[in-house]
Parts: sequence; structure tokens; C-alpha cells
Amino acid sequence: MEPIIATQGLKKIYRVGKVEVPALRGADLLVHEGEFVAVVGPSGCGKSTLLHILGGLTPPSGGKVLVDGNDFSTMTDADRTRFRRHKIGFVFQRFNLLPTLTARQNIIIAQHIQGNGFNPHRFEAVVQMLGIQDKLDHKPSALSGGEQQRVAIARAVICEPKILLADEPTGNLDSDNSQIVLNMMRALNRSYRQTILMITHNPEAAAVADRVVRMRDGRIISD
Amino acid sequence: MVNRMVVSNLLHRPVRTAVSILAVAIEVGMVMLVVGMTTGLLHETAKRVEGVGADLMVQPPGASFLFGLTQAPMPIKIGDRLAQIPHVLVVAPALFQFNSTGGLNLIYGIDMPSFNRVTGGFVYHAGGPFTAPYDILVDDWYAKANHVKAGQTLNLLNHDFRVAGIVEHGKGARLFIPLATAEDLSGARDKASIFFVKCTDPGYTEDVVNAIHRLLPKYQVLSVKEYMSLMTSNNMPALNTFITAMIVVAVAIGFLVIFLSMYTTITERTREIGILKSLGASKGYIIEAILREASLLCLVGIGAGYAGSVIARKLILEAFPTLSVELTMGWAFWAALLALVGSLLGAFYPALRAAQLDPVDALAYE
Repeated sequence: MEPIIATQGLKKIYRVGKVEVPALRGADLLVHEGEFVAVVGPSGCGKSTLLHILGGLTPPSGGKVLVDGNDFSTMTDADRTRFRRHKIGFVFQRFNLLPTLTARQNIIIAQHIQGNGFNPHRFEAVVQMLGIQDKLDHKPSALSGGEQQRVAIARAVICEPKILLADEPTGNLDSDNSQIVLNMMRALNRSYRQTILMITHNPEAAAVADRVVRMRDGRIISD
Repeated sequence: MVNRMVVSNLLHRPVRTAVSILAVAIEVGMVMLVVGMTTGLLHETAKRVEGVGADLMVQPPGASFLFGLTQAPMPIKIGDRLAQIPHVLVVAPALFQFNSTGGLNLIYGIDMPSFNRVTGGFVYHAGGPFTAPYDILVDDWYAKANHVKAGQTLNLLNHDFRVAGIVEHGKGARLFIPLATAEDLSGARDKASIFFVKCTDPGYTEDVVNAIHRLLPKYQVLSVKEYMSLMTSNNMPALNTFITAMIVVAVAIGFLVIFLSMYTTITERTREIGILKSLGASKGYIIEAILREASLLCLVGIGAGYAGSVIARKLILEAFPTLSVELTMGWAFWAALLALVGSLLGAFYPALRAAQLDPVDALAYE
């Protein structure tokens, strides 16, 4: 079976003034559909950069990156945006909910951006699974960290993305809420065969995944 | 959904929203009131001259249709020659005096009998006609604006006048003195600034104009119809320039405030724009959301501007009853269009900047 994510010699160099800062120095990674993969490594090893490239937020500087058969190294910014809209869901450490919208609106806006319209059945199913039915009319400022992250997960999966990319989803949560969020991600993976790539510093979080990938200095050192 | 987000964003920053709406309202109000006051003044002046009831007016060579600028007098005997032209019913001379004491006013020195025949006579709200050389008639708008009552003394042209009567407005000037007194004050004995000519039938106006041209080749002869058509801002020296300058200032205010408001909005919401981009929002989606926000601000501002203009007009007319402010649908439309275009232009650069933000940088924005 073709992997849903395949990178080969993936490089990313940031320019800070006249200085070139390599964030990825040739990362090779294969992820198959339905896998739950944790990426671990020290700060600055390139984990978030890898996630941003796989999510189409930034282009690679070199190497190959195929996501669901699409070669990101040859795609324009608009193409990657379109791809992200339909195939990728993001969960961030800082939740990143829109503060002026309610939880319900934060979830619905993802469907609106995708352009397929509101799907009430999918909405109800996701909201039930994440247990946020009674929080839907609250704004993010009125929700706890755990609740906000559950809303963020709901937003990420409402459009049934091929891949869920999670950037330290438990980084801002206490251990109880971390466990709830990890359990939900695990449930998503098992129930819907949701492919998940999760970055984490937390060994307990990494243990929930099927596979743990270790990074150092912009490369994958063990898989 | 975008509209909900736009409304939520606007409500989230009520002061900035209110300031932006106020700026657009000032822009719309300024355009409507400046145009309304200038056209109102012109139309009201024109209507007053039309209200004299003459069919045509004769002025000296080189005179302007702006009466306040014309004091060059003609021999009053010309009136007798005009009266002999076929189809001329009556000729009324008037000598203009420009008064600058206690405000700017054009005073008509009139020969009461002939002026009454042209106009059909004054309608008196109080008092009656002149009984002495230094009597004056004032119209009801002037009386209201200056709290003038019949019988009181008015100091005009550096002389004291007794207010003989308060008359219905709309007969040329707001202030009338006897012709002989005007001649004494200007040292122009047996002279007139204008002759108001009434024909036996308005259908003869063209014939009479031609006859006057033959009789007095160099004199200015204007039918009232022509005069009315001349009383537009296009024919007023520098008035169009003034109106244009005021409109440019008004539009600049709206443009700059919306620009600044949207620019600070974009800076403040950099992270939110990053979130939208992470969800797959295209550049067009982000530009559209910001332009919708500016449009909504603008539409509310236009509504507030209309309401403000109506209230301001009422207040202006209460404070200055002699002024006239015409708020027209045509200029309401133009003011709204200018505000909308200015706002969209003001929001476009911030919107473009937001659309071009790097999503990774935007998500990392603190």
C-alpha cells in the first residue's frame, strides 16, 4: 500500500537576515494511512517545521515530500492551500481558536472554508464524541484548556481530513486533560482510521501512538 | 458564516468600531451638508428673485448676474423707455446696497408702487409700508434670525432705520428701503442697479428681450428663466472648487480612518489570520472577510451620516433661519458611493497584506 506521507531528503532552510538556518537537513519519513505516529525530539530539532511542511503551510527548500500522492515541492502556495483545506486538520498546542466566535462557530467555520456547507450529522457525531455538546455556545475565553483543545480537535476533524497533524496538543494541558485529549485522539484513530501525526515532548503522550519517530538536528534518527 | 465572524469582530472592539463609523458618518455628513448648504443657498436666492414676479431683468453693461457684485447704476430714466416697449406691463427699478453691518446683506432700494405692481405687493406679517425715508421692510426669515420686531430700530449702512414692516419672504431681497434713500446713501441720484420688467404676458418675453437689445444694445437682459439656469454652482466663481475641496477632505478622513482601523485590526489579528490560513482559507477568502468588515462599518456609518445630516440641518435652520440646506437623494447616493469606495480602498491594502501573511509566522505571532 502506498504511504499517505512520504518524505525523502526533506530540507528546509530559513533565512534570518543574511544567515541561513537549516531546520530540516534531509528528513526521510513514511506514514501509512490509519497510522498514529508520534514525533519526538529536543526543541529546535525540526519537528514543527516537518509538521508545517506536511500541512502545506510552508514549502520545502529541498528533497521530496508526497502527501496523499501530491508532490508539495512542485505545488504553488494556492495549490497547497486548497490541499490543506480538504485533506489536512491541524491541532495546536495553544488551541488557536478564534476568540470572537463561539465553540460552535469555531467548528462550523472549518466547514465553511472547505466550501461543502454545514453537515449537521457529521457535526453532531463529532461533538458527541468529543463531549462538548453543552459548551457549544461558549466563547473560548469561557472554556477550560481541555475544553478548548477538544473544540480545536472537533474543528480539525469536522471536514474528515485525510491527515490530522497535532503540534504538542497536550503541551498546555494538565495531566487529566492531557489524558482526555490523548484518549480522544486514540479513539479517532481507532474508530475512523484517522491518520495522525503528533509532535510531542511528553513520553506518556508518545506512548499512545502506534509508532514513535525520533528527530535530532533536522533528521529522523530512529523510527 | 463570514458575516457572523465580521459582526463578532466588530463587536469585539466597540470603541474602534464606533470611531470608524463616526469617521464615515462625518464624511457622509460633510459631503451632504456642504453641498446642501451651497446648493440650498443658490436655489433659495434664485427662488427669491423668481418670486419678484418679473419676466426679465435689465442690468448695466458688464453687470454680473450675482447681484451683490453689481452696484454699477444706470440712469433711472431708462425705465421710462423700457415701459414704452410693446407688451411691457410694468418696469420696477431697484438700487442695490450691500450691507456689511451685522452680517452680509443685499438691500433693495425700491420704488414701492412699481415694485408692488411687479410683485403683486408684499404680504405683511407685522407693521406696514414705508412712511418715512429711513423706514425699512425686513422679511420674516431675517426677522426670526435677528429677533427683529416691527417698530424697532436697525442700524444698517451706518444709519438707523425704523422697521416699518415684516413681510413674507421671497420677493428678491430680505431687506427693502425706499429707492430715494438708497440713492442718497450711495450718492447715485436718479440711478438704478436693475430694472425688473413684467410683460403683459410671459409669452412675449422673447419679443421684449429682442426689443430691449435693439433699444439698449450693450445692456444685460436676462429672462428669469435664464437667470434660474445660471444659478448653479458651476457658474459661481470658485464654488465648485470649494465643494470639490471639501469632498476631498471628507473622503480623505473616511479613507484614512478606515485604513488605520483595518491596518491595526490586521496587526492585532495576525494570529487569527494564521488560524484561518491553517484551516485552508485562501487569499481571496481573507480579503473578502476584511472588505466585508470595512463595508459593514461603512454602511452603518452611511446610515449614521444620513441621520446626522438631517439632525444637523434641523439645528442649522433653527440657529440660522436665513440659511437654506437642501439634502437631496442624488447627493445622498453620491456621498454613500464616495464613502463606500473610500472605505474599500482604505481597507484594500490591509486586506492584501493580511492575505499575503506567511501562515507559519502568523501562527507564531504573539
